[in-house]
Amino acid sequence: MEEKEASQVLVHLEVDGKSVSLAEGSTILDAAKLLGVQIPTLCYTPLVEPYAACRLCSVEVEYPRGGGKVVTACNYQVWDGIKVRTDTDKIRRIRGMIVEMLLARCPDIQVLKDLAEEYGIEKVRLEKQEEGCILCGLCVRVCAELVGAHAISFAGRGLDRRVATPYDKSSDACIACGACALVCPTKIIHVEDQEGREIIHEELSLGPSKAITLPFMQAVPNIPYIDTEHCIHFQTGECGYCAKICDRDAIDYELQEETIEVDVGNIIMATGFELFDPSVMGQYGYGRLKNVVTSLEFEHLNCAAGPTGGRILMTDGGEPSSVGIIHCVGSRDENYYKYCSRVCCMYALKYAHLIKEKTDADVYSFYIDMRCFGKGYEEFYHRLLEEGVQFIRGRAAEITDYAIDSDEEGKLIVLCEDTLIGALRRIPLDMVVLCSAMKSNEDAKELSRIFSCSLGSDGFFIEKHPKLAPVSTTSDGVFIAGGCQGPKDIPDTVAQGAAAAAEVLSLIDRKEVEVEAAIAVVDEDRCSGCKLCNTLCPYLAVKYDEEKGVSVVNEALCKGCGTCAAGCPSNAISARHFENRQIFAEIEGLL
Amino acid sequence: MSVETNIRFQSPPELSAFRDRLSSERRDDINRITICAGTGCVAKGSIRVFEKFTEAIESRQLDATVELKISGCHGFCENGPLVVMKPAGILYMEVRERDVDDIVEKTVTTGEIIERLLYKDPVSGERARNEDEIPFYKKQMRVVLRNIGKIDPNNIDDYIAVGGYSSLAKVLSGLQPEEVISMIERSGLRGRGGGGFPTGRKWRSCRNAPGDIHYVVCNGDEGDPGAFMDRSLMEGDPHSILEGMIIGAYAIGAEDGFVYVRMEYPLAIERLLNAIRDAEVYGLLGGNILGSGFDFRIRINRGGGAFVCGESTALMASLEGRAGEPRAKYIHTVEKGLWDKPTNLNNVETWANVPPIIERGPEWFSSLGTDGSKGTKVFSLVGKVKNTGLVEVPMGITLREILFDIGGGVKGTKKFKAVQTGGPSGGCLVVDVEEKGKKGAFNLIDLPVDFDRLTEVGSMMGSGGMIVMDEDDCMVDVAKYFLSFLKEESCGKCVPCREGIRHMLTILDRITNGEGSAEDLQLLEELAETIAEASLCALGTQAPNPILSTLNYFRSEYEAHIFEGKCPAGVCKQLVTYSISADNCTGCTLCAKNCPAGCISGEPKELHTLDSSTCIKCGICYDVCNFDAVIRR
Repeated sequence: MEEKEASQVLVHLEVDGKSVSLAEGSTILDAAKLLGVQIPTLCYTPLVEPYAACRLCSVEVEYPRGGGKVVTACNYQVWDGIKVRTDTDKIRRIRGMIVEMLLARCPDIQVLKDLAEEYGIEKVRLEKQEEGCILCGLCVRVCAELVGAHAISFAGRGLDRRVATPYDKSSDACIACGACALVCPTKIIHVEDQEGREIIHEELSLGPSKAITLPFMQAVPNIPYIDTEHCIHFQTGECGYCAKICDRDAIDYELQEETIEVDVGNIIMATGFELFDPSVMGQYGYGRLKNVVTSLEFEHLNCAAGPTGGRILMTDGGEPSSVGIIHCVGSRDENYYKYCSRVCCMYALKYAHLIKEKTDADVYSFYIDMRCFGKGYEEFYHRLLEEGVQFIRGRAAEITDYAIDSDEEGKLIVLCEDTLIGALRRIPLDMVVLCSAMKSNEDAKELSRIFSCSLGSDGFFIEKHPKLAPVSTTSDGVFIAGGCQGPKDIPDTVAQGAAAAAEVLSLIDRKEVEVEAAIAVVDEDRCSGCKLCNTLCPYLAVKYDEEKGVSVVNEALCKGCGTCAAGCPSNAISARHFENRQIFAEIEGLL
Repeated sequence: MSVETNIRFQSPPELSAFRDRLSSERRDDINRITICAGTGCVAKGSIRVFEKFTEAIESRQLDATVELKISGCHGFCENGPLVVMKPAGILYMEVRERDVDDIVEKTVTTGEIIERLLYKDPVSGERARNEDEIPFYKKQMRVVLRNIGKIDPNNIDDYIAVGGYSSLAKVLSGLQPEEVISMIERSGLRGRGGGGFPTGRKWRSCRNAPGDIHYVVCNGDEGDPGAFMDRSLMEGDPHSILEGMIIGAYAIGAEDGFVYVRMEYPLAIERLLNAIRDAEVYGLLGGNILGSGFDFRIRINRGGGAFVCGESTALMASLEGRAGEPRAKYIHTVEKGLWDKPTNLNNVETWANVPPIIERGPEWFSSLGTDGSKGTKVFSLVGKVKNTGLVEVPMGITLREILFDIGGGVKGTKKFKAVQTGGPSGGCLVVDVEEKGKKGAFNLIDLPVDFDRLTEVGSMMGSGGMIVMDEDDCMVDVAKYFLSFLKEESCGKCVPCREGIRHMLTILDRITNGEGSAEDLQLLEELAETIAEASLCALGTQAPNPILSTLNYFRSEYEAHIFEGKCPAGVCKQLVTYSISADNCTGCTLCAKNCPAGCISGEPKELHTLDSSTCIKCGICYDVCNFDAVIRR
């Protein structure tokens, strides 16, 4: 797909009796596409230069000066006055024979069977082989020309020709981009990782399946981003296909992250939470066993705009006949997080309901306690009891694929103690959803240092007062809302966000800030500029003024704690309205 | 032979003065002994003969009066090693080491001619003293091979002395590139590599193709089985190829040239490298050639042995360092060739035709040959013909003249049956001498040989291989042989060639095993159509030729294999049975003694019997029997 010059020379030709004009340098295939004339191809893709190896796109060309010949449409450049015929008896014979030859080589390839039907080939008269690869070279050319990895090539000549990696060994040149598998018309290329596990590049992958994608569903703004770790362009410098086909020229590989400084008077921290990665809990086999998914992945699967269009499917594309939901994975757990994540019980109930609604699967819910506080929540739990969801009270001990009888063959078996009947149970299931704990962000500690607001032992930010100032922090003008303050559901998060906004608005509306009466002041004549106070101040209120060569107190930030005054080696700092003179006078008055 | 390194010609007159000096210094009073060092003669021991001569002359202290040198291939390889004695021009054949002393003592010293080493006419039994008297040479016309056998390929002075580089001097003395191209166009020269494309037109297209850099390439990747024309030229007269390329580069506007030679021709590579080095020393190649300001350099590239690299686009891919696979030529290589630059590729023989055309004029050249094919063509004549070797004949000569007058007729007692031309992708033509007229248009013994006639009858000129076959050759087996060669040499890129040739071969295997059916002939024809029409390069499109031409001219042989279960020529083992005739067997035991399978038994002087259940059908008994008692059916 070459960029065409702006000043194009048009050439006029006929395809199957229909006239068409198109730019010089175009091929017969381009002309046929323009007219809607079907020409079959196997080794053609607009992604790379035409190769003309399969010869299936053979057509007859009649020259304006008389005479003509059979040419391949994919790479024959059009010129004025030629007449192209794509469906003559001769062309059908040639294409039919090519399909017959390929089908003799690869008898089980669907695309060839379809072509054979189209060209009326009922029986292959030629000696059969058991190959899968038709040697169209698409994989080789895409890997070289588009990806730029050059990880595979043709080896051998003639009948020994085959696609191979260098010396038939697994090669570092392969970046596992999967482009070869994507373009292969016979679908016989599979991508495997070093341990031999299959990497699925098809729709059923739960993660983003492309290197350019939307950050997540319903993201705001809804703009794709490039995953530079997986984007071919950032690995080999080649490809660039997205930029080539973007009409708006919106793709810019040079864009870098940048830091923007904004002066503000108030800050609301709504940095959210992270989901606990259950792969560290080896007993649940997450990442090792197929069809063990986290709650977020399950949500992804359920989304109407998701990879399966909202259908609940296993990795093999089938619908599960039984699904388990395990509560409290990592939360309420002495080994990981002692607290309750608050939202899991309710979303687990929602999942159970959706599974029941969308599939015929049996649903098992493994819980410690059902915590259905809140309006309408308990009622929802009762509704699910009626829907026939199996609630098993007991923490699931292990998920295994080790079957001990035929019922368990090929299933995931959840081992647990059902404390209501007092028995150990093995429950074979097709799919298990892990309700992972909500945990504080990795960078919460760093944020707490920057904003001088404290973290609790659970890693979440602590509010100034749990009842009277639930969205404020110990730093004036810094507020918190949502998951960074502690696990909470959406209504609570929205309410807290609104509250924090209201706090900010009330400060902005006042247009002035009330400062503490007793704040520190620096006697600039005595200050030596040693900067000791800068590091002592817990509120980061003292800064060094480079011009004057002395430290200066930011009155809006100073809380008048006196630490700087006590620490100043040259007695240059004193607390306003709290000077030594006043203290001595007070003492004197008392005495 | 080293060149005088202090010489560097600054202008065409300096070159011509040097030539005059060479001819004035040339002594006519000494004996010149030229020993053929073409590959055929080298294989027959000519190097040892040369060494023996050196020894013999030294020991007799004849150095002052005898000049000894080697030459390229004389063409008459059948009778090598060949030795020419000048000034008398005596041609000695099949000279062995033991003959050397005799020659030095008699011919060199006394001028006595040694009868037994002269050519003997097989019919009249008369001896011929020199080349001109030998029928093999009489009908030939040596334009391209003009110097071969006369000069030492390793000696640039030899080449200059016979007029070498005078065409280049003429071109650089004031001819414009346009004029040179026009001369080549008017000469009617067509590409000798097989395609037969008009050379002048190719040069013009390349010169007119936009771009600063142009290349010229010499295709020396001669790969046809049994063909050695280009090899002999490169080995025997490398300077004529270089001179042609330099003139071509001047006309086209190229500063770099490449000679692509197959690795299997080490002698050709060595001699070309010598030639390039010497020409550079003399200022005939490199910067500022003959003081004209024109720069041109030539590099040698060795091919890795793939037949398909003789195809121009595959050759260029190989030159670039990529796998030798052809690409579509919808955009010609004269526009986008080597490294996507305009590139003019010609065959070795084409380049060697250029200096004579410039020297003697296009009108002289176009007076030779036929309407569509001018000049001469070198053929390598091999197979069941008496005089195998390299022959150069004017275009339009008939097959009869080549086979009988030059080739000396059939070797052995059988009858001529077919001639295969054009290499593995060529076709087999019927030649039936005695039944002339009976087979009508099928008998092509009087076919004038040129590009167009050969194509018309379903074969092609190719690069000039000519394989003669007699009644003992099975045409199905011949087709199978060429197909199996092509199967090995297909690059495998496009489907019709890679898959199609394999299937055609499988079917031929079936037929020669007696398992063929009527549908097989139909299937062969269907496959042939697709392969011929839809393959990517000429290797594929011409691959069905061996089958189509034999099916056309020798269909009865295919039918005999399929319907009667017989191989008329007795070649296809599965279809042949051997037995012993009670009438003819004398009980000599020769067959039984030679049978490797031990399946023949019988007491001396009594009728022998052959056990066909253990017979491996090797045919040895048939060959050794002196009484025609072994019957092959």
